[in-house]
Amino acid sequence: MFGSPMFLWALLAAGIPLMLHMFQRRRTVNTPFPTIRFLKAAQKRSSSRVRFENFLLWLLRTALLAALALAFAQPVLRNVAGADSFLGRSRRDVAIVLDGSYSMNYELDRGKVWSLCKDAAVQIVQALHPGDRVCVYLATDTAVPVIEKPTTEYATVVSAIQSLSCAHVSSKLGETVAAALRTLGAVKEKTEKEVFVLTDGQALSWEDFRASSKKGDEDAGEAIPREARDKVAFFALLAGAASPENAFPSFVKVSPPLMLQGQSARVAVRIGRTGAPKPVTVTLKVDGQEQGSRSVTAEPGTETSVEFVLNNLEAGIHVASVSTPKDALAEDDVFQFLLRVNHRLPVLVVGRHEATRYLRAALAPGAADDSIRQVTPDALDAVELRDFQAVFFCDALPLSGQTVLRIETYVQNGGVAVFFPGETCDPSAYAVFNILPAQPGEVASVATADAARFLRRLPRKEGQKVDFTLPLPPGTMPTVALKRILRIAGEPAEEAATLVTAGEGMPFLLGRAAGRGRCFLFTVGATREWSTFPLTAFFVPVVHQLIRQGSGASVQPAHVTLGTSMAANEAIPNYREEDTVTMPSGAPLQVKESGGRNLILSELPEPGIYLRTKAGGTDEPVLAVNTDRSESKLDPASQDDVAEWTGFKKCVVATDAEELARLVEERRNGRSFTELVLWLALLLSLAEWGFANAALRSRKGATENLAVSVTGKVTGG
Amino acid sequence: MTKEGIAAYLNAAQMAKLNQLVLNSRYVVEGTLAGRHRSAQKGSSTEFADHRSYMPGDDLKRIDWKVLGRTDKYYIRRYQDETNLRVYLLLDRSGSMNYTSDLDRPTKYAYAATLAAALGYVVLKARDAVGMYIYGEKMDAALPCRNSFNEWNNSLKVLQSFKPEKGTHGAEVMHQIAESISRRALVVLVSDLLDDQEEIVKAVAHFRKNMHDVIVFHTLDPVELTLNLKRGAEFEDLETGEKMIADPRAMAKEYKDIMGQFIETYRKAFAEMKVDYRLVTTDEPVDTFVRAYLEERKRMSR
Repeated sequence: MFGSPMFLWALLAAGIPLMLHMFQRRRTVNTPFPTIRFLKAAQKRSSSRVRFENFLLWLLRTALLAALALAFAQPVLRNVAGADSFLGRSRRDVAIVLDGSYSMNYELDRGKVWSLCKDAAVQIVQALHPGDRVCVYLATDTAVPVIEKPTTEYATVVSAIQSLSCAHVSSKLGETVAAALRTLGAVKEKTEKEVFVLTDGQALSWEDFRASSKKGDEDAGEAIPREARDKVAFFALLAGAASPENAFPSFVKVSPPLMLQGQSARVAVRIGRTGAPKPVTVTLKVDGQEQGSRSVTAEPGTETSVEFVLNNLEAGIHVASVSTPKDALAEDDVFQFLLRVNHRLPVLVVGRHEATRYLRAALAPGAADDSIRQVTPDALDAVELRDFQAVFFCDALPLSGQTVLRIETYVQNGGVAVFFPGETCDPSAYAVFNILPAQPGEVASVATADAARFLRRLPRKEGQKVDFTLPLPPGTMPTVALKRILRIAGEPAEEAATLVTAGEGMPFLLGRAAGRGRCFLFTVGATREWSTFPLTAFFVPVVHQLIRQGSGASVQPAHVTLGTSMAANEAIPNYREEDTVTMPSGAPLQVKESGGRNLILSELPEPGIYLRTKAGGTDEPVLAVNTDRSESKLDPASQDDVAEWTGFKKCVVATDAEELARLVEERRNGRSFTELVLWLALLLSLAEWGFANAALRSRKGATENLAVSVTGKVTGG
Repeated sequence: MTKEGIAAYLNAAQMAKLNQLVLNSRYVVEGTLAGRHRSAQKGSSTEFADHRSYMPGDDLKRIDWKVLGRTDKYYIRRYQDETNLRVYLLLDRSGSMNYTSDLDRPTKYAYAATLAAALGYVVLKARDAVGMYIYGEKMDAALPCRNSFNEWNNSLKVLQSFKPEKGTHGAEVMHQIAESISRRALVVLVSDLLDDQEEIVKAVAHFRKNMHDVIVFHTLDPVELTLNLKRGAEFEDLETGEKMIADPRAMAKEYKDIMGQFIETYRKAFAEMKVDYRLVTTDEPVDTFVRAYLEERKRMSR
């Protein structure tokens, strides 16, 4: 294409040198000369050279004139060809996709990447020609339409772009681009369609594109038809740092999950790092008070662990945080979590008073304890199981089907259920439970001569989830005298194991991991009528050990990831419908009903500490929500990567807004070659000048090598 | 009033510059008068030549008594004879000599005539004799060798009457001249030598064969050497009248090569024959050239 095609007529000027040569009237002057024999010889010798030089000179002059004519015609190279583009500019439909992931908050020398991308988006809108339409999408973990329908109201679009803010999540560019393309595809008019993706260039955001390109799939993430990839022009701005630096706490694990007042707790922190290895100071704060700091050298690409120990925590809920020094991406420098410290672990004992006597004494040795509650089986329905860390069943079977389901749910959610057979035990009553480690058979009497048994802990097998350690002093051999025993029918269930035996092949304690919780079954009762076990010194530590086996049905997570959906009861202890949950911004969190009476905290939207306000009560922290740190592992994609992953035929990738604007201009209007052609013309003219004068500056002839003195003497040669 | 004779070629100032110069022969010559040049004959001078045995009739005073005293044999002392120099100027008046590339400069013929006049003046001032041959396609004039200014003046008047024209058969004429000069002399050829090179060289060799000392003044216009012309032209051969159109700028390089080879051929051939070959261009003032040349020749003959 040419900016001024009329000047193409000037190309005829390229014929001028030839015409001049053909029609030139040789205006020769008659010049007498002593002899022309030397002239003839010289002409004969030089004719081929002169012809070649003249040809080159003609070529140079023709090319020079042609180049000048072309320069005036302003040649441009357009990638978009078509009759409409040749006759005039065609209309465009443009979709702008802004990456809304939190890594866009990365601070560069010239400002935040997010600001740069927003400015670039505004520039794109402002550079549109009248009649061009634009729509805007924000890419977060879903495609968020900002201006869904392509519009020509640019002021509205600019205003909408400027009011956008970053999300706290990773983004899915593939899904958002697909949504934008669907919008553009819905436009019926024949227009030029362009998609602009403005991002910091983190490879994670292109994951859906990348995954599909690896599979060789034609469609990226959300379906992008091949036709769209061939026809739609795709522009990407990778505005992020080429070599980003970031250090961040990526995960915190608090152990034990159930903390008791006065106990020590360990806080293991994983530090992620992008960039060169660097010493990082990690600071732990509890309730705003610094509890300690550690300096670790964070290695790039891996996560470096650092551990803190907290002693003598008071009972209650403590807001804790782990932080790294502020860096370019401040969004992920603090990781918050809650420390829930219990005064005691609440335990429920189900059974008749006599049947639970020894157990109650073991759980609260010395005195009555308000953390131990005993109920009879028929009163079990009135008790909220999730308020207890463990439930002991002593000669409590059979139970109603509804109660069995409640017990199973309780265990699945992290509770501990321990079963002791009793006087009224009917082995068939166990069959309704799906969480038992094994199904009991009959109750067998043990002969007196064979009553004494050593208790032996079986070694843990590979892959065995449930484990148990007898807390006995070294050198002691636990011995019990059996009177009756519940025989086990068949093999232990899946994810179950015999933990302790009482003699060869005689299971004494079996355990099973069920969901987050544990279920244990003793083959002897908790009374003297079954064995001497309740009277032994190790009865007390055994039952205490069992209580701590579960993760706790009422143990709430120390922290959750942003965007998580979870049951309200799972996240907040004793949640009631009348309670209000307030987000860090102060706005109330909407709790949705999800069938039946289940209340769901849907897609926690803000990072930070959530507060629960009980009706008429005070606020208490209930949730610590953190962003998913996978976005913090900064891994910039290269321009070639993006071009390869996206698979668009007309793909232009730039690393700054100015370059993008230039490339867009080139794409739309074509690349101007005027300057190049002018340079060529200059070179040609220099070559012509040099060449035309070369004959005059030819090498020395023989006469010049001969020196002629004033006396006429000829020397040299 | 038109000047005639030597006044037509040299003015008083130029003649004054040439007064103290001498044209010497590098070889012995044979003259008719006593002079300052070594003769082929033995005679009376102060320069000892050799001894020979006494023969009856020899003058007794020429017996070398010292040799008689030592050897008891009669020997005659012989001395180098000294004679005057006879210079023959050969002037080419072929058509090619009628060329000048600049109207402010003399034609090659005018330059050659002036050069001849200057040399004749120098020779006569040294009391030597000078003659002149003017030739073109044939011998046009053979002016006798005299040591008289009047004769020389007359010769120059004759020279004035000739204009360069037609072609040249210089080699043939030079052979005639070589045959006609009986005694050893100094032959000065003033020509552009635009003839068959081999024939010219042979003709000059004829002079050398006859024991003549030869000087060749190869007279050329500066443009003939470089073809330094600015525009295309229709060249016309001054001797044959043949014409050709050529762009001198395009072929200057090749022309200079060819001209260089032409000059070099003469230079080498004449150097082998011990002929003093000088290339003279018409942009050099004659008196300056003659003075510089003669002084250098004087230095060389010492």
